[in-house]
Amino acid sequence: MEGETVWGTTAIVGVGETDYIRGADDHVCDLILSASMDAIDDAGLAPSDIDGIIPPPGFMTTEEIAANLGIDDISYHVSVLMGGASPTAALQTAAMAVSCGLAENVLVTLGWNGYSALRPKADARPSKRSMNLGPMGETVRNLYAPYGLMSAAQHYSLYLRHYVDTFGIPEEAAATIALTCREHAHNNARALMRDRPLTRADYDASPYIAEPLRKFDCCLETDCAAAVIVTSVERARDLRQHPVVYLGGAEGHPQPADEIASRSDLLELGIHRAAPRAFGRAGVTAHDMDVLEIYDCFTYVVLLQLEALGFAEPGGAADFVAGGTIGMDGDFPLNTHGGLLSQGHCWGLNHVVEATRQLRHDAGPAQVPDAELALVTGYGDLGDGSIAILGRDR
Amino acid sequence: MIGSYVPRPEWLMLDWHHACLEADMVTIQRCASCATWRHPPRRFCAACRSRESAFVPVSGAGTVRSYAVSHRSMDPGWHEATPYATLVVALDEQVSLLAATTSTPNDLALGMPVQCSIERRSDDFVLVWAEPSDETPDIRPAASGR
Ligand SMILES: [Zn+2]
Repeated sequence: MEGETVWGTTAIVGVGETDYIRGADDHVCDLILSASMDAIDDAGLAPSDIDGIIPPPGFMTTEEIAANLGIDDISYHVSVLMGGASPTAALQTAAMAVSCGLAENVLVTLGWNGYSALRPKADARPSKRSMNLGPMGETVRNLYAPYGLMSAAQHYSLYLRHYVDTFGIPEEAAATIALTCREHAHNNARALMRDRPLTRADYDASPYIAEPLRKFDCCLETDCAAAVIVTSVERARDLRQHPVVYLGGAEGHPQPADEIASRSDLLELGIHRAAPRAFGRAGVTAHDMDVLEIYDCFTYVVLLQLEALGFAEPGGAADFVAGGTIGMDGDFPLNTHGGLLSQGHCWGLNHVVEATRQLRHDAGPAQVPDAELALVTGYGDLGDGSIAILGRDR
Repeated sequence: MIGSYVPRPEWLMLDWHHACLEADMVTIQRCASCATWRHPPRRFCAACRSRESAFVPVSGAGTVRSYAVSHRSMDPGWHEATPYATLVVALDEQVSLLAATTSTPNDLALGMPVQCSIERRSDDFVLVWAEPSDETPDIRPAASGR
């Protein structure tokens, strides 16, 4: 099969993450370096073993990371600019680099001052370090912002409203995503919302931001960083941690990817195109998964992704998530760390970290018993999508 | 004027705004080779790869494909107007574009016929508005129902 040297031949061997907080005392570069060093330590490697870097889309460069950590020979680096889909898409690039021999040990990292700098906050010390907006910048500046649409919630509501009205999606379904992520955050000492309960009454009372999105349909703004190390399965087996194999993955882009209103189908997102590719490459199906870590910038975006992945027909995700299916005791526990909605927002690299812990059987109170296969998705910019399918090594 | 932010477009995007100002109505880019309409302005025709095009005045008649209802905005000028709707309008020329509206969100529905017009916001920028039209809804192909 085409690409057979890429899929199943690399593994995640180290993970690191900072706390998820509002108003970090550390500069965004300190956060990124802390998480990166934690991931390198976790793998039992030294910085000099790292020879590939995929840095965040903005905030800090490969060159700065290498200079700080004392990585003196970078043989491969590349940036992935897909907004929140970037880190999960970066795994396929890391796997490609390792399996092709461009690098042996690749550091994928993302950190940001998502609370302290995204919008000015009275209690935060800002930094001029910012994200690389990629293709979104021009579109928002010219076509959306003049109409009063400046936030992601507003941009995505252009098609989420279409989704809700076309299929009659009940608010109950979105509330289920929000409440499930919050419950799961209570199992996670690192989650920002670890001891803050959320009831259905709280959800119903929360104001609309951009319909259909209420406040509790929207993810958290946090300062944080995460990092993972990718190497070959062969090397992984000699390292400290139980290897978590990258079985397959994919990215996909809606058409056109740089503008929403002109799409012939408002509800065909990047993940609709990525899903068949990812499952084909990994040789598994959606229903084989033991754990789902789904990019949850907004609750309704989770519902759309579940449909794209094949868990339900278009419009059917509301029924799929009802009745505890995505809870810890359900068939498909979802966002076992609390997700972007209740752990914190690290562009989904926190989803990759959590999936890795699950498959190491090292997820503490959040552990899904005997987890063997995990699915991670990323979603970003104006609907780009990425998927990683991970498996516990034999 | 609702909203405070008026961008300063350049090159091709600026040409579109100037064409609308000159025609005093909505114009849409059309391929000079295969006559395919396209928006937002692009440098190539995706259908035939021609680089030749013109901004052609259109009737402005269309239907609501979707709409956002904002309850807050980072633009203080728009924030004052909350809750406000922003429409995705499918023009009769089979292209879609964003439009502001004075309609209250509760009066809107997918498929509703609307009429677009332009508001001059600067020498280099027009804002497109769309309001419900009196015309009886005709039977149009469903807007990308999925
Ligand atoms: Zn053409």
